[in-house]
Amino acid sequence: MQNIKVKHPEVLAPAGTPEKLRIAIDYGADAVYIGGDAYGLRSRAGNFSFEEMAAGAQYAHERGAKVYVAANIVAHEQNLAGAGEFYRHVRDAGVDAVIVSDPSLIEAAITEAPGLKVHLSTQASATNYETLNFWKNEGLERVVLAREVGIDEIKEMRQHTDIQIEAFVHGAMCIGYSGRCVLSNHLSLRDANRGGCAQNCRWKYDLFDMPENGQKRELMGHGPDGKLEKFSMSAVDMSMIEHIPDLVEAGVDSLKIEGRMKTIHYVSTVANVYSTAVRSYCNDPEHYQLDPAWVDELWKVAQRELSTGFYYGVPDENFQLFGKRRRMPHYAFVGQVLDYNDETHQVTVQQRNNFGVGDAIEFYGPQFAHHAQTVKDLFDDEDQAIERAPHAMQVVHFTCDQPVKKGDFVRAQEV
Amino acid sequence: MTELVTTVSSLQQAEALLSAGADRLYLGEDYFGLRLPHSFSREELSDVVSLAHAKGKQVTVAVNAIFHNDRIKKVGEYLAFLQEIAVDEIAVGDPGVIYLLQQLQITIPYIYDAADLVTSSRQINFWAKHQAHAAVLAREIPYEEMVPLSQAVNIPVEVLVYGATAIHQSGRPLLNNYSNFVQEHLEETDRERGLFIAAPHHPETHYSIYEDVNGTHIFANNDVDLMTVLPKLWQLGLQRWKLDGLYADETTFPKIVEAFNQARQLLDQQTASNEELATLDQVVQQYQPDERGLDLGFFDLDPDEVK
Repeated sequence: MQNIKVKHPEVLAPAGTPEKLRIAIDYGADAVYIGGDAYGLRSRAGNFSFEEMAAGAQYAHERGAKVYVAANIVAHEQNLAGAGEFYRHVRDAGVDAVIVSDPSLIEAAITEAPGLKVHLSTQASATNYETLNFWKNEGLERVVLAREVGIDEIKEMRQHTDIQIEAFVHGAMCIGYSGRCVLSNHLSLRDANRGGCAQNCRWKYDLFDMPENGQKRELMGHGPDGKLEKFSMSAVDMSMIEHIPDLVEAGVDSLKIEGRMKTIHYVSTVANVYSTAVRSYCNDPEHYQLDPAWVDELWKVAQRELSTGFYYGVPDENFQLFGKRRRMPHYAFVGQVLDYNDETHQVTVQQRNNFGVGDAIEFYGPQFAHHAQTVKDLFDDEDQAIERAPHAMQVVHFTCDQPVKKGDFVRAQEV
Repeated sequence: MTELVTTVSSLQQAEALLSAGADRLYLGEDYFGLRLPHSFSREELSDVVSLAHAKGKQVTVAVNAIFHNDRIKKVGEYLAFLQEIAVDEIAVGDPGVIYLLQQLQITIPYIYDAADLVTSSRQINFWAKHQAHAAVLAREIPYEEMVPLSQAVNIPVEVLVYGATAIHQSGRPLLNNYSNFVQEHLEETDRERGLFIAAPHHPETHYSIYEDVNGTHIFANNDVDLMTVLPKLWQLGLQRWKLDGLYADETTFPKIVEAFNQARQLLDQQTASNEELATLDQVVQQYQPDERGLDLGFFDLDPDEVK
């Protein structure tokens, strides 16, 4: 019987640095998004110079991947000078599209950098098909949906518009409509929409009323552990790994992973899992099965509990962080493979975090290659036996029972 | 001429507001508009429009919600109704509504109002090219930024001179989620319930919070009151002034409007003194609800103070 194939949506990964860009693509991402020196919302992420953008775009294009530049601040009067020039540089670096939220910057990109494709950022909170049609008329190539949009809504949008749809599938979420929150501006004098968000939603607040003469009356209750629980608005993170068929069938063109501030460990792992799952589904949808190992893998880099956001309904209290955090297994990125000797079974690793003899470690590489191993011996670069590898970037070697590849990463569970 | 725009919470209040000097009444239905003092049925809405028009005044209807598919479908019919009752203007924050206005060839003028997102002259002029005839300025714009902005805009800009500033909108029922977690049921979570949150280490703060059909809304610690700095706004030509009575007392809000009307008249006659404005400001403070403070918001902040 002939396999039925479905259209392969893009897996779009974050890349805070040139190194992460290369890793995300090596680990299966079809596209990456990065930030430039200006107009981005992650002012503290490692941002790209125009030269680095050009090198990144070249690296991506040679491997059939794309690079987008997020320039999604909400600009004030004094931020706009030079926007056109910025976009021309981005275009000339070979970047495939810019992700923009503010209409003033959309206009600057379209009129002052002709040929540069524009995607509407999730910060613009696009939640219906007429809005998508508006932006299509403006000449945009794609809309990144608000994270409040459900699967059934995406299906309906698909029937009313043919603009490309990008949707977040993994990572941290705003608790409010993105862009419609200036808690940070008012509580911390940091502009949420210009890269300064202080994440005030994750604070613990007193909840009260003032029934008489402005006298406060607290209204807080207790959690299941009996402790006073303050009011909070902190969202758990999103993971749609268990629902890849729904996303593909709804017509999502690009599955977006959050996290330009995240580590190499995170980017490689999440890009790897989603690209593997999407490929597996699209190659043979009828026989597709979720591999529990994918889910396990994502938990290894999870920072909070995971949920499906708004995809299947309005999130209830279980989709927020209250009470004591459940303790999550935490894995550290401990090294990268420089070489493997098939004859001696010795793997040479560059250390990124302390590890040593007796540790249970795991090698992982692109295409979901995995190998678990206990460190039985360890040698420094002068072949002297050692117990631990404590130095950053230290080059060590040890016995690895199965072949691993140059470039593979090594992680260890933290006790 | 300076224009006073005020929210309205009932037909009775509409009478009082128009007598107090309001030029334009702002109202709507929660299903289509955001953070309104009252959700007006179509019949009630028609009555307010008739009243305002009989007095030669105008009406703006809020169609500024963040619409999902289920609701955007109903917007076309609502716009047709608003056109039929001769509403003078609508407030719009979702570009999908602008698309619908074009598609349906509905000719009601609109003011672009996307809360905190309207922050530059270039953006305002973008909406002007899409037939917006005015725009609501974000409350996070300090005076220093208003100066160059006011010189570069092609359409009038509305500035909040009195009232509550929304600082957060969530699609989630944040109060209900919390109360479900702690298993202490909050009987009501709507605006009338009068709930507040205080920031950690700042027990004196009191951010109002409520839930409605549009999600959860949080407001700035104090209401805005620009009475004493009106001459600065006036001189910039930013002369469309909004008074938002969302948290004002229904019966005394017209007194606040009246104070601003007097200030407006003095300014339009170029005879306003600081002393007179200070006296009028005392009227505003007198009628301000006890549990809510007043301040200048972001008006006098140095733009570099907000990182």
